[in-house]
Amino acid sequence: MRRSNQFWLIILLSVPAFIWSIPTLWMLSLSFQPNDVLARTTSSTGLGLIPFPFTFENYWALISYGKTPQWFLNSLLVAGGMTLGVLVVSTTAGFALARLKFPYKRIVIFVCLLGLMIPEQAVFLPLYIMFADFGWHNSLPSLILPRIAVPIGVFLMMQFFRGTPKEIIEAAKMEGAGWLQVFWHIMLPLSRPAITTLAILTFLYAWNDYLWPLVSAQRPEVFTVTLGLASLQSNFAQSEGLGRIMASGVTASLPIVILFLIFQRHVVQALSLGGSKG
Amino acid sequence: MKERRSSPFMLSETQAALVLLLPFFAVYFCFLVYPFVQGLWISLHDWNLLKVAFNPSAKEFVGLENYRRLFWGRDVEWHPLHRPVPQGLGFLMLALVGWGWLRWRREVLFVAVVMAGILIVGWGFHLGEDGRWFDRRFWPTVARTVTFVALTVPSIVIISLLLAAALNQRTRTMAVLRTLFFVSQVLSVTVVTLIWQIMFSPRQGLIANVFEGLSLEPLTWLTNEHLAMPALVITTVWWSIGIAVMLFLAGLQDINPEIYEASEMDGATAVQSFFLITIPNIGTTLLLVSVLQIVLHFQVFGQSHLMTGGGPNDETQVLVRYIYQTAFRDSEMGRASAMAMTLFVIIGLFSVLQFLLGRGRQ
Repeated sequence: MRRSNQFWLIILLSVPAFIWSIPTLWMLSLSFQPNDVLARTTSSTGLGLIPFPFTFENYWALISYGKTPQWFLNSLLVAGGMTLGVLVVSTTAGFALARLKFPYKRIVIFVCLLGLMIPEQAVFLPLYIMFADFGWHNSLPSLILPRIAVPIGVFLMMQFFRGTPKEIIEAAKMEGAGWLQVFWHIMLPLSRPAITTLAILTFLYAWNDYLWPLVSAQRPEVFTVTLGLASLQSNFAQSEGLGRIMASGVTASLPIVILFLIFQRHVVQALSLGGSKG
Repeated sequence: MKERRSSPFMLSETQAALVLLLPFFAVYFCFLVYPFVQGLWISLHDWNLLKVAFNPSAKEFVGLENYRRLFWGRDVEWHPLHRPVPQGLGFLMLALVGWGWLRWRREVLFVAVVMAGILIVGWGFHLGEDGRWFDRRFWPTVARTVTFVALTVPSIVIISLLLAAALNQRTRTMAVLRTLFFVSQVLSVTVVTLIWQIMFSPRQGLIANVFEGLSLEPLTWLTNEHLAMPALVITTVWWSIGIAVMLFLAGLQDINPEIYEASEMDGATAVQSFFLITIPNIGTTLLLVSVLQIVLHFQVFGQSHLMTGGGPNDETQVLVRYIYQTAFRDSEMGRASAMAMTLFVIIGLFSVLQFLLGRGRQ
């Protein structure tokens, strides 16, 4: 009885799961079809979900001309830089807030907490003016810097460090280690799982960031893939062909989907943590 | 054991804290706190982006004028029963709160009172005989953003709760299915809009192809006044169901499986145990997911900006896109900042709630 219930449940769930996957599969399939076919019909074989006639032409075109490789590189640099920056400020501040005693600590934590309430949209206009005054726009650092100032990473790390045993620190202090040594040699190696989680989340977030790059980067040379894809969309299907735009979409998604599939458990854990802790 | 002498360069605890906190607080103040205060400051000025860029003294302090020009109009009136249905609902909610004061959780009461207040006060304002709003587009834009949230969030919550309840088993098949539902969540907004723009296309779209296969007239989703908003909602639900499913799954893990086994012994069907066990036990997660999604989708921008350009006829214009346009197309930084601050207040209310809920859960 139970076993057959299980069977029907899976059958029942496969239908929505398939429907849910159709848009992604369609993008994948279109990216492997020749543009001249797509110009006539997008449903040549099996509603277009089966890539026949099949070609790699779109991906070759993507690599040989067009700006996508450059954008891809920019995205890697921006997401990598942002991840590194967030890790540095979050681990240091998170450790200090969790394990060090200093005056006005409660106020400092509260000030951090207030930052959680400020959404990106409330600061992107003044940031735009500030970066314009300094002449910083249209550079990769300008895409990275404002996004490092997010308190959520500090809170994740603080929560983690609070869970580590105090005795290790005390033992190290007895040995005559300084606080910075304790942080560097003991706490950082201990916190590898939390760091991995934070790194993946930040990378995902950075890769998909749209609003700030949209206002800050006006020259195509500094676009990220996310932004570049948006610029292709505004004149899509006319200039480059549907297949190539879909190939760009697939390329833009590939790193994060792979990253997600590898580190699925970390991502899910972090999201539920972020959800419950705000 | 040899005790090492601490070196003269060793930092005290407070000094170490200072050193470790410095990097974060440097970026925090430069790129979050200062811009936020600056945003408030800008919202009190008549501040033209281009003029001020060339001549820093070309701004004029106008106090709260920007806010007045957004919210207010000529000959605006207020009546407690202007729109009896939403306002009556508000009064009903207040009555319910008064009646159930001691029995409900404090967070629930907070939400109820705020919502009742918004319903009663908000829907009471209307224009007098020859009145008009100073900004004709602001309130309709707010209304459309609220409509978007009101359509998106319940759909996400219901679909993801049902999916989570069905997927709540530790088997390999279920793990694969979970991944299938989650993958769309990690795509960027531009990829999502790219896919769905073409999905909805009346000439090339998959949906149009299916309609043609059934010999129906293809719909012009994104250019039709009645279909554009639902199209954005469908896109958004498809995109952002993953986190909600995962949060619900986490919540379901906390329910003791013995309760389900006991109810199965008593001959309860799956549907019965869903309504009698799952729903009552998942209340906090339900609230948390809803608030999280509300905060997230109030900030909607990409879908509207890329798929419909706010159209047709402003039908999908949302708050963030209006801020973006006011700032960068009309160069009116002051007014745009006032709108951004309004958005901050709305989102801030929900963030406080999210925080309270998160604390209540621990």
